[in-house]
Amino acid sequence: MHHRSIPLLLIAVTVLLAACRRDPPPPPEPVGPSPEEIEQARQDSIEAARRAEEEARRAEAERRAEEERRRLNAERRARGTLAEVRDALTRMVHFEYDQSRITSEAEQLLREKVEILRANPEVTVRLEGHADERGSTEYNLALGQRRAESAKEFMVGFGIEPSRIRTISYGEERPLVNQSNERAWAQNRRVEVVVLSGGESDRDSDR
Amino acid sequence: MLVLRLHDVVYGEVRQEGRFRIPDPSRDGFRMAVHRVSDRVVEWIFDEPGMAASRIAFSVSRAGPDGVANQELYTVDSDGENLRRVTGYGSITMSPAWSPDASRLAFTSFKSGEAEIYELDLGSGQERRIATNRDGQHYTPTYHPDGQLLAFSVHGGRQSGIYTYDVERDCCLTSLTGGRWDDLSPTFSPDGRRIAFNSNRLGVATPQIYGMALPEGEPDLLSPYLYGQGGYYTSPHWSPRGDRIAFHGRVQRGRYHILVTGAGGRGARVRQLTWEGNNEDPSWAPDGRHIVFVGERPEGTGLLVVDGATGRIRTLVEGLRVRVPAWSPSLGEPEEIRASRGGS
Repeated sequence: MHHRSIPLLLIAVTVLLAACRRDPPPPPEPVGPSPEEIEQARQDSIEAARRAEEEARRAEAERRAEEERRRLNAERRARGTLAEVRDALTRMVHFEYDQSRITSEAEQLLREKVEILRANPEVTVRLEGHADERGSTEYNLALGQRRAESAKEFMVGFGIEPSRIRTISYGEERPLVNQSNERAWAQNRRVEVVVLSGGESDRDSDR
Repeated sequence: MLVLRLHDVVYGEVRQEGRFRIPDPSRDGFRMAVHRVSDRVVEWIFDEPGMAASRIAFSVSRAGPDGVANQELYTVDSDGENLRRVTGYGSITMSPAWSPDASRLAFTSFKSGEAEIYELDLGSGQERRIATNRDGQHYTPTYHPDGQLLAFSVHGGRQSGIYTYDVERDCCLTSLTGGRWDDLSPTFSPDGRRIAFNSNRLGVATPQIYGMALPEGEPDLLSPYLYGQGGYYTSPHWSPRGDRIAFHGRVQRGRYHILVTGAGGRGARVRQLTWEGNNEDPSWAPDGRHIVFVGERPEGTGLLVVDGATGRIRTLVEGLRVRVPAWSPSLGEPEEIRASRGGS
């Protein structure tokens, strides 16, 4: 039993040796990509990087352009014709029911006004607070005043001189929309901006 | 001359008799003279003041030529007659208050471009601005029963407070309350030792009524505030009898109704006097029984009067956009001709 196993082993070795000898060793099976592929990938990568860079450059340029456009817009608004300035400056700010808190929508409008006031240091304004008809006549005076003060505080927080902003409240006495429904009420809860000085001469030349 | 005898039909005797000088019925003062006499009769019977000889001041909102709504002050007699315009400023003028002798009206007007307090002498027509030299909007004046002090609120920055001003000496602005909230609509107790007012110190959307001893008490809640439930109660007016305070509040489904509570402090029962429409700004008649208020009904807004004893409501002024009425004190005694005989 012992003897029979040895030739079997030998045969196995011979077969192995024979196999080695008969065919030339094939080129090592490539582990990674071929040099061509590598080269291709390298090129691709360079290309992608270039494209990405280009893309980024373009995005950056676009962002810059957009920024510039915005800046120019803001500047134009801020320094533009009085009609445009007045329009942005006197756009009403609205409030929630029974509240004097500045909403995010109101915040955007107020920031725009801050820009205009910064660019036009001679302009002074009056903020007129209003309430909807619900609730008490006298209490609504206080609520309207609180709204006007809250808008003023916001603008002063962005560096506008407090002395350039006067406030008053008309309570529920001067509604914008003389109706009794949710839409009318929402429109009536507001702060209006009236230009007191600094725009008169422009207004004349504007006409 | 008007001769009145009060017969007691049970005992079959004349209990009171009076002779009164009355102008000719064609003259201006006729109606009011008769009202004074009828108040005397109420006094004979109930030993309590009447309210016939009185007027109600209020403002009326109207669109001006430019379409902007203005308000002027008016007065009307307690029976709805004799409607008269008192101011013509072409601005917003509101929140009238009668001096205790009914000779003057104090009010808020926006005619200077700011909300300021003015005092108008109804006899001479002379008017003056109360110059407090304090920045801010001045609202809701009311007279102290001595007629010398005026209380009102001042709102500036995010602050407000109630102040008094000596209108006789034209000086001495004194702070009673204040803080980073809204205090307004002060009203004195008839003995002048307490003041009630409206404040949203518990939250901007939950104004409440407070009472406070003068000069330096702590404010006590008078309105039925429940923690966590808020509530909306404003426009207090102290009864001339001293025992109760009327105000209005948001009651059910966002409706506003006239409410009355005891002036003693919290826990007093709250009585509701109106049940339909919206109802605001109550003001007591000099009899401490009737209350005038602004009532909004489907058919229109007007001044209504509720009899606190019976709950009955009558219309005083209709067809006008009325605001914040103030009932005057009694407009004086009838002109009695003292004769050799007659009642005491």
